[in-house]
Amino acid sequence: MFGALFVKECRQVLRSLVYYLYVAVFALFIYSQMGSEGLDVKEPVPGQSGYGQIVTHDETLIMEGVLEKLAWDVYYNSFTTYPIGFYKEVQLTAGEREQAGEILERCTGKGYEELMEEMIGYFSQYEQDPMGDAGEAYESYKVTVKEGFTYEEFGAAMEEVCRLVGKGSSYEKNTYENSIRVPMTYEQAKEEYDALCEKDRLTRGYMRLFCDYAGIVLAVLPVFVGVSGALRDKRAKAQQVLFAKPASGGLIVISRYLANLVMLFLPVIAAAFWLQLSCLDRAQSLGIQADRWAFLTVPGMWLLPEVMVVLALAFLITEFTDTILSVFVQVAWGIGSLFGASVLVGDFRLRLVARWNTLGETTLYISQEQEFLRNRGYYFLLAIVCLILTVVVYERKRRKGETFYGKIRNAGR
Amino acid sequence: MQTETAIEIRNLTKNYGKKQALSEINLTIPRGMFGLLGPNGAGKTTLMKILATLLQKTEGQVNICGVPVENCKEIRKMTGYLPQDFSMYGNMSAYEALDYLAVLSGMSRAERIRKVPEMLAVVNLTEKRRTKVKSMSGGMKRRLGIAQAIIHDPKVIIVDEPTAGLDPEERIRFRNLLCEIAKDRVVLLSTHIVGDIEATCENIAVLNQGKVCFQGKVAELLSSVEGKVYSAEIPAEELERVKENHMVTGILTTGSTANVKIIAETKPFPQARPVQPDVEDAYMYLMNS
Repeated sequence: MFGALFVKECRQVLRSLVYYLYVAVFALFIYSQMGSEGLDVKEPVPGQSGYGQIVTHDETLIMEGVLEKLAWDVYYNSFTTYPIGFYKEVQLTAGEREQAGEILERCTGKGYEELMEEMIGYFSQYEQDPMGDAGEAYESYKVTVKEGFTYEEFGAAMEEVCRLVGKGSSYEKNTYENSIRVPMTYEQAKEEYDALCEKDRLTRGYMRLFCDYAGIVLAVLPVFVGVSGALRDKRAKAQQVLFAKPASGGLIVISRYLANLVMLFLPVIAAAFWLQLSCLDRAQSLGIQADRWAFLTVPGMWLLPEVMVVLALAFLITEFTDTILSVFVQVAWGIGSLFGASVLVGDFRLRLVARWNTLGETTLYISQEQEFLRNRGYYFLLAIVCLILTVVVYERKRRKGETFYGKIRNAGR
Repeated sequence: MQTETAIEIRNLTKNYGKKQALSEINLTIPRGMFGLLGPNGAGKTTLMKILATLLQKTEGQVNICGVPVENCKEIRKMTGYLPQDFSMYGNMSAYEALDYLAVLSGMSRAERIRKVPEMLAVVNLTEKRRTKVKSMSGGMKRRLGIAQAIIHDPKVIIVDEPTAGLDPEERIRFRNLLCEIAKDRVVLLSTHIVGDIEATCENIAVLNQGKVCFQGKVAELLSSVEGKVYSAEIPAEELERVKENHMVTGILTTGSTANVKIIAETKPFPQARPVQPDVEDAYMYLMNS
């Protein structure tokens, strides 16, 4: 019974215009992002002009980098934060700004006035073009850490800054420890290259980059397919006849859910497979033993829990309310998760959209893999919980003839 | 026809918040066609939905073929339900819709391959098996609805206002179809159209304002109004006065005279002559007494 229903539900998805729109938007987005993403993988050679950048774990470099940003933010009194995932510019009051200056003073050993004068003198030469010159000014401005100032003291100071500017700033530990980048040495570049070839076998790294882009749209697009599927009975006025059938709510909801999930994921796998083909050629030319199954395993691990939870939540909210409320809630969630990321590589925490906007950085990935797996495991479990709740809501509607928010739907006598 | 009890309803009450939709309903429904008659808002659909496990009762006991209605899974297996506004996914053909609903009725592939064409033939939709649901007429949809209600061979079929909105020809065809399928099972037909009951049911119940005001055979309902129905030819200008003073169930105006059918306990005026009552007269008498 389940198999027959699953196949029929897949056919229903295939007849939905919303599904084809999903496929088209997904394909266009992936093509626009990955189509131009070259596979510029070369073994580093000593004496190269540059080897790219890498996230540093050097505490001094982290402190310098963060203090540079803090000096810049205090000077302009403009702090970028993402408190609930959305961009928010925070401006401090005069007193708060003074406190921030005192923190800077404690960290750098320079008097607040002295530091401000130095900064004003430095930044004033760029004031005319904040969009262009200010960026350059920020890149080149250097603040040194006070001698003997420990990383623990620095951490405590940054917590004070966080209290001043609020949640979601660059001064949160998890953020600054994953965002300060420095130029790579030859040894580091070689180590990265070897890890990409041996541990990622090229294709896994490339698929992570694919998942980064795909994950952006998959945080939102499946909502439309899910809502459309979950509202299908209501639209067709078929609820009563379906409710009266012997099939259990679990069977109906789960078969629909899985059919939608499979149909949503098929284009993802197809795109991954297509993109991997060029990667396989490149791996062969570099003599790398590529992982031919990466197009399945990496998106399966990276994107499947995301699609699962987005779809399950769309099912739950739609079944609960019989409205398109889910579209608004989940689009906000998806966008919030996307723009709430302070870095484009790593820092997974419990973000719905897991970012890895780079080809490689395998050693960094390995260091964050546990956090990533926890993140995906969390969403996998959340999807299961949402699905179970959807079955409960479905059965309750079936027996009570009413929605959860109390409106009697069967009052017509 | 066997007369064994198929549905037993005792002291059934259903409240929607503070509003009472059904009050202390007691009904015994035997095999065969059973008509549930009542005006709009009488509580017929509520009762039907409770029997189809789509609503929970507030109080009382309901057993279908000996199984309490709380046992939803068993009840759904033994009942077929045709709701008032039957519809299915518009993009499915008649065959696909029936096959889909057959899956939900727990039928295997082999059973479906055999039964779906058979049911389409029963409801005369074989030639329309590829027609999309969205392109079907109201009558075709109802026939598809009855096919899905009987495809898993249920003991009880619950049919809610099936003929509303159908043209006379479709209505007669649909009534005949219900009579055919009622041969060896219970068909509970809810309607506010007296003609449907008169043409199909021997046993009926009348529901009004959430209460059963009659249960018995059609002949018993007719006997309640026996000798109380009169016909008279009156001047057309007296029509308004007659309507004010008597229960008029039929008027045929021809020129300056009007032929009226009146229900009255005693002869309403000298020229009135007693006539044979029909179910509509009996129903009107019941509703207004």
